[in-house]
Amino acid sequence: MSVAESESVLLLAEHTGEEGGSRLKLAFRQLRRNPVAVIGAALILLFVAVAILAPLLAPYSPTHGDLSNITVSHVPGPSSKHWLGLDLQGRDELSRIIYGARASLLIGVVSLTLGATLGMLLGALAGGFGGWVDSIIMRLMDIMLAVPGLLFAIAVAALLGPSLRSVMTAIAVVNVPVFARLLRASMLGQRESDYVLAARSLGVKRRKIIIGHVLPNSLAPVIVQGTLALATAIIDAAGLAFLGLGSADPSVPEWGRMLTDTQQYLRTAPQLALFPGAAILLSVLGFNLLGDALREALDPKLRR
Amino acid sequence: MALLSVEDLTVTFSRRGRRPVHAVDGVTFSVEAGATVGLVGESGCGKSVTSLAIMGLLPRRGADVGGAVRFDGDDLLQLSPNAMRELRGREIAMVFQDPQTSLNPVLTVGRQITEVLERHRDMRGRDADREAASLLDRVGIPDPNRRLKDYPHQMSGGMRQRALIAMALACKPRLLIADEPTTALDVTIQAQILELLKELVVDSGTALVMITHDLGVVAGLCDTVHVMYSGRIVESSDRRSLFAEPRHPYTTGLLASVPRLDSPRGVPLRPIPGSPRDLLPWAQGCAFAPRCTRRVDQCTAVAPDLLPDPVTGHALRCYNPWPPGGEAVAVPAPIVAEPIVAKPAVRRARKKP
Amino acid sequence: MSLLEVRGLKVHFPIRRGIILERQVGAVRAVDGVDLDVERGTTFGLVGESGCGKTTLGRAVLRLVEPTAGSITFDGVDVSSLSAEEMRKLRRRMQMVFQDPLSSLDPRQDVESILVEPLRTHGVATGAAARKRARELLDVVGLPASSGGRYPHEFSGGQRQRIGIARALTLNPDLIVADEPVSALDVSIQAQVVNLLEELQKEFGLTYLVIAHDLAVVRHISETIGVMYLGRMVEQAPSDDLYAKPRHPYTIALMSAVPIPDPEVEDRRERILLTGDLPSPANPPSGCRFHTRCPFRQPTRCHDEEPVLRVIEPAHTVACHWAEQIAAGEIKPASSAVVS
Repeated sequence: MSVAESESVLLLAEHTGEEGGSRLKLAFRQLRRNPVAVIGAALILLFVAVAILAPLLAPYSPTHGDLSNITVSHVPGPSSKHWLGLDLQGRDELSRIIYGARASLLIGVVSLTLGATLGMLLGALAGGFGGWVDSIIMRLMDIMLAVPGLLFAIAVAALLGPSLRSVMTAIAVVNVPVFARLLRASMLGQRESDYVLAARSLGVKRRKIIIGHVLPNSLAPVIVQGTLALATAIIDAAGLAFLGLGSADPSVPEWGRMLTDTQQYLRTAPQLALFPGAAILLSVLGFNLLGDALREALDPKLRR
Repeated sequence: MALLSVEDLTVTFSRRGRRPVHAVDGVTFSVEAGATVGLVGESGCGKSVTSLAIMGLLPRRGADVGGAVRFDGDDLLQLSPNAMRELRGREIAMVFQDPQTSLNPVLTVGRQITEVLERHRDMRGRDADREAASLLDRVGIPDPNRRLKDYPHQMSGGMRQRALIAMALACKPRLLIADEPTTALDVTIQAQILELLKELVVDSGTALVMITHDLGVVAGLCDTVHVMYSGRIVESSDRRSLFAEPRHPYTTGLLASVPRLDSPRGVPLRPIPGSPRDLLPWAQGCAFAPRCTRRVDQCTAVAPDLLPDPVTGHALRCYNPWPPGGEAVAVPAPIVAEPIVAKPAVRRARKKP
Repeated sequence: MSLLEVRGLKVHFPIRRGIILERQVGAVRAVDGVDLDVERGTTFGLVGESGCGKTTLGRAVLRLVEPTAGSITFDGVDVSSLSAEEMRKLRRRMQMVFQDPLSSLDPRQDVESILVEPLRTHGVATGAAARKRARELLDVVGLPASSGGRYPHEFSGGQRQRIGIARALTLNPDLIVADEPVSALDVSIQAQVVNLLEELQKEFGLTYLVIAHDLAVVRHISETIGVMYLGRMVEQAPSDDLYAKPRHPYTIALMSAVPIPDPEVEDRRERILLTGDLPSPANPPSGCRFHTRCPFRQPTRCHDEEPVLRVIEPAHTVACHWAEQIAAGEIKPASSAVVS
């Protein structure tokens, strides 16, 4: 670093009072101070809590309704008995939204875990070995990336038939090249750094350098991408459900399908589109806010 | 009256939930037209922040600027952002350390110069092109007409710094602030750029504020030198007297810690202990006291003021300075290099502007 | 016998074009035929400006980049013929100190594990013995023993460089290649690190190859200095000799460009300014590589005959056709190049 540059950095360093501890601890401390991160984390926590505690929180059954109050021209809106009103089948809307969080969370977590694991494995192989291994893996990823994500997911889901499992598989497959490329690029960057050269000059074995130094230092962007990809997975799941590629059982509440079901009744019961829409928005927003805050906390260059 | 006079300048960075940082803490100095003033110090001493404050380039939020910066009588700190923008580039220009990041990578160098000419001198089209070429020629870039069409990445580091200086000179500013202009450059290129700056001051009477950590650069260039530490000036003097009779322990420490090309080998360097981060807040005494070898009790009680030194006339902020010619500066006699160049045969060649 | 002998070392980086069918269209000749000897227990300083190949040379000596041609002999062993595993073992005896102390330390490792890693790697010590050695090393480089549990970002630049030096010392090496060991540090800190390097040399009988652009620093710590320009050694001499009697025009210009913190000296000095820029190492000039910028250039030989490094005085070699005539004052620099 040049002298004038280090001047500003030093200023900032004194500014933040650089407390002790590893970089992760430091990042965490910074996250706690960042209101964006706190809001994001709160939204996510709410979302996860709702999904897990659904049977306790939901006032009614999400699958059984009473059709007696429902007519084509009138769907009862929010009332003191049903806070968010009833849906077209006379089921309690609030309970359906609460249970809907389960499907979103399940799809998000499972598809991301699958996709990110496979993607990172491929990325680590490509970034770690280089050469022809890298070439083959990356050309494969390029081909996968060349097909638009949602279209690809639709194709996979259509191929496997509508079910939650096929939705998860589809989204996982879409995520594979994203994580593979990201981790590989990050590893290639780290491989050029001085501390890797230092480890080589110390005679540390190649495999140990890759696993012990390069890989752990390459994870920061992947973690950020993970949070953001969760948000995208929730949207994709809703999108696939909207297109009728969700769970085979239509009575299982899913936010995306709840939107589809109401599309013809938008004029008579707009609230039925509004509530699942808001649920999607808030959960996605939570992950996006936390992702952005994480990116800031983990990237020393963005730190202010 | 001085062209620029900085009076009791303070810059405080404050952030929610953190202790405010006094980056510049009561700095006063002035620059006459055609003079060169050096601000010297290490990282964190506030020299760069001082220059940004003069230019009005500090962020409005988070940086609290106090005191006065009088340029030609007007207090720049009181000017509106628009008036300041007008002044910047036209009357005061700045050259930064890194010529790579100071140029816009997607515009040709010529375009970037003519932009300044259009904005401040109302020149257009071929006139502007011709002027831009003559500016490049003036800063010693060969084949200027062709170079105008170059993008920054097509130029070497030294060439880019020249182009930046050409841009800074486009409006014939009366004051040029150079912040470590040669730090990123090789030493032979540094020599070229310093020579260019010297010529500018002599030929066009531009006042120059040179900000650097390199005492060698100051020794050959500046009329007056201010040594800064932790946001305050600790010693000021004219160049010859400062190097001949440095008084402040920080000044002497700096001089004793850099190896000189002309000093004999085998003499160990005398570093300043600690690091620039080991500071004492000025409110509790002298900021340099934790690293100072001549510290007395008073130093950690009350901060010394910047006062005229009765012995040398320097402005000095120290209770217990080195005696003039004290042992800290007793650098062994230089060994004499054989003359390589016959001295009188050559005269300084200078390009006419 | 010298501890390190480099003969005819070349490092060329191929320039490739094409995505699938890569073909080589040229080569950057970063190092292009360099000889040097480093005597045991001494310091060899390698100076030159950016792009001269000094960093590549330093890395090639440790085989962190593969040499294209030439030989590197370390303590009688031809390093360039060793297998990867043999080389890895030899690394114990040849260590490196880097320019940027922060980027050369893994940000996720605390200081203790930074220092323990090389010991474990080479099976020298593990567990409590390794940790004890780490504490000793911290003491040797002047850091408090309590630093072990802290991370690189918690230290100042000078302290980080001490950590880097401690790491280089863990395995008791014979040779340390230091690439710009002080140029990233504050002025007042540079001297601390220079002094530390000198003390360690005395204490452990280390041999240094110091690579730097700062001639004053190099002159201060080196017994012998080699000056590089565009992949070639242009002059090599004992440190005092080189300063008092620089013979190559490039050395003369380089030396005259170094500012000296003394107005009396600065005002009396004459400077020889070089014109133009460094030519591309992918396409170096014919004849003498310096002839495009040389203020002493002659109409004959310079542009078509490559000068060899020849001995002009004991231990003083120079690669210039006209070194004697320049020294005698018979050839003067172009007047436009001289400023006072």
